[in-house]
Amino acid sequence: MISVKKVNNRPLNFLERIYLWEIGRGLLVTSRHFFVNLFNPKKIVTVSYPEQRLPLPGAAGQRTRHRLKVRADGSPKCVACFMCQTACPAYCIRIEAAEYPDNTVEKYPAVFDIDLSRCVMCGMCVEACPEDAISMDTGEIPGGAGDRGELLMTRGDLLRNLPGEPSVKGAANRLANEYLEGKE
Amino acid sequence: MPKLTIDGKSIEVAKGTTVLEAAAKLGVYIPRYCYHPSLSISGNCRMCLVEVEKAPKLLTACSTEAAEGMVVRTDSEKVKAARRDVLEYLLINHPLDCPICDQAGECGLQDYYMEYSLKKSRFAAADKVTRQKRRALGPHLVLDNERCILCTRCVRFCSEVTKTSELEVMERADHSFIDLKEGKALDNDYSMNIADLCPVGAWTSRDFRFKQRVWFLKKTPTVCLGCATGCLAEAQHNENVIYRVMPRPNAETNTWLCDRGRLAYKAVTAGDRLAKGFIKNGLIDLEPALREAATRIDEAKGAVAVLGSPWLSIEDNAALAALAIEAVKTENFCFDFPAEQGIKDGILINKDAAPNTAGVKLVKAARGGISLEELSRRLLAGQIKVVITEARAAGFIKEALKAAAPRLITFATNRGEIPQGAYATLPYASYFETPGTFVNYQGLKRRTEPAVTPPEGVKPLWGLVNKLAAYSGDSLHLNSSEDALKGVKL
Repeated sequence: MISVKKVNNRPLNFLERIYLWEIGRGLLVTSRHFFVNLFNPKKIVTVSYPEQRLPLPGAAGQRTRHRLKVRADGSPKCVACFMCQTACPAYCIRIEAAEYPDNTVEKYPAVFDIDLSRCVMCGMCVEACPEDAISMDTGEIPGGAGDRGELLMTRGDLLRNLPGEPSVKGAANRLANEYLEGKE
Repeated sequence: MPKLTIDGKSIEVAKGTTVLEAAAKLGVYIPRYCYHPSLSISGNCRMCLVEVEKAPKLLTACSTEAAEGMVVRTDSEKVKAARRDVLEYLLINHPLDCPICDQAGECGLQDYYMEYSLKKSRFAAADKVTRQKRRALGPHLVLDNERCILCTRCVRFCSEVTKTSELEVMERADHSFIDLKEGKALDNDYSMNIADLCPVGAWTSRDFRFKQRVWFLKKTPTVCLGCATGCLAEAQHNENVIYRVMPRPNAETNTWLCDRGRLAYKAVTAGDRLAKGFIKNGLIDLEPALREAATRIDEAKGAVAVLGSPWLSIEDNAALAALAIEAVKTENFCFDFPAEQGIKDGILINKDAAPNTAGVKLVKAARGGISLEELSRRLLAGQIKVVITEARAAGFIKEALKAAAPRLITFATNRGEIPQGAYATLPYASYFETPGTFVNYQGLKRRTEPAVTPPEGVKPLWGLVNKLAAYSGDSLHLNSSEDALKGVKL
């Protein structure tokens, strides 16, 4: 059942029509917030992202930056089947397959790029993967960047980061790191 | 002429027609693995089982001849159950490695499973019988015995079409597997057809392997230009790169494609592909190269010869004829290439290596011209100072060119084609990149459609001819390949 809010479209009365009274009311709200935040900064709702972060809820369906999982021997679990590339609605995945000369798996990704500037974080790649090789559980939210190259995740970048480990890539992190460096 | 009923629809077919073929005529599709219209009937896969009234058991549609009054059902519960069971049987030991299998997307097992089965396997993955995985057999193919369903299409192809009989089914019963016969190598001229034939992923092409997923490929009809046979083919490409060429089976010319013709597309992206002009030994931009060539043609006015080429389309030959007659205004042009034509190996490969010998004849009929011997004679007599031709066609007058040493201006797609001693070479768009009409040895018109775009700055040959004439101050008004065809009767 959709909740319905009834809007009262009554005509404005005289006080409201001359605006001055309403402007004063608005200023009152703004200054109340200003003074409350001035004397009690702990209650501020706004966070200065990306320098400040709120902890993510960590829900099962949460989708953060991708990573490629690895097998016990360190090789990528990915077999370059192109399912994620096929499923991707934003065309942000680019794979080039190659062949292992002597391995039962035969196929691996020589190139695996995710262009985060195109990615819409829909998680279709994770759904499509038949090998459970890609996941979106790094806990990192890709932010903006100074140039497009910084948002291109290559195979190496995607394989390096395990969940919980901060990424070296991504604009949000770069800004945060610079901010922290400047503080010391 | 037996008359039979299939799924309630009746049809009269010629004697000897099988139920499967009769059903195809009615538009009723019967699933099959081992049946192939161009190979002998084996009847081993059991996928085409149909119910025939008064027959005690289900019959294989591919090997049952249509008989008078036959009543066939392909959609009864019994047939559906049989298809499900046959698929379950074929999939018992299937490795299910679709993620790494090149056939995925055009696989008979995948397609029929979705269409006719959708049943869960009752066999544990751990119980599957494993077999030898990939191994390279021959220069073009990889065999994976684990994916094989033993339909023996490949075995029959080698023994019936190429008659080389390299392959055989080894061992018996559930031990059987496909292997090379002792002392044989799978290197016949048609081996890559086996990868097309294979309904599953057992045979894959080494050239195409892991390059691209088949569902990304777009298909463009084209013609194989490897020889005068002019087989109908299909270029499969994605994002402006051709990944493979497959045959377009037709009754007139070809069901298959030879390996050489199939791999001819590689020249399009080869390392020696010309994107710029070539003067003597140095690369130079197209415009200065054209200007240089035009200057040389103007210098030798009256002593210029134009030689067509059986490697070029009718349009491009007609453009060269227009250049000779309307711009250069010379009598020395030749569109006459004698060649012996006919199938050389009994399958597809032609005695004539050039694809358009018959098509050039049409240009000669419309525009005239001297014979090849006359051109050589005039060259040797020193009447000709500049020769304009396509790179490979220069081979027809090799001796005369060597002796008379005129300035040779050639058109080429790849650096490897440029004949020795060429003065200037101009790059043109190959027939994967521009439309062209060809006439094969049977006199059939064959048209190529552009599958990819040419490298930047590279134009079709008629466009180059148009520019060349413009630099000499003549306008040929060639703005499309149709313009070039004016006056030539196809």
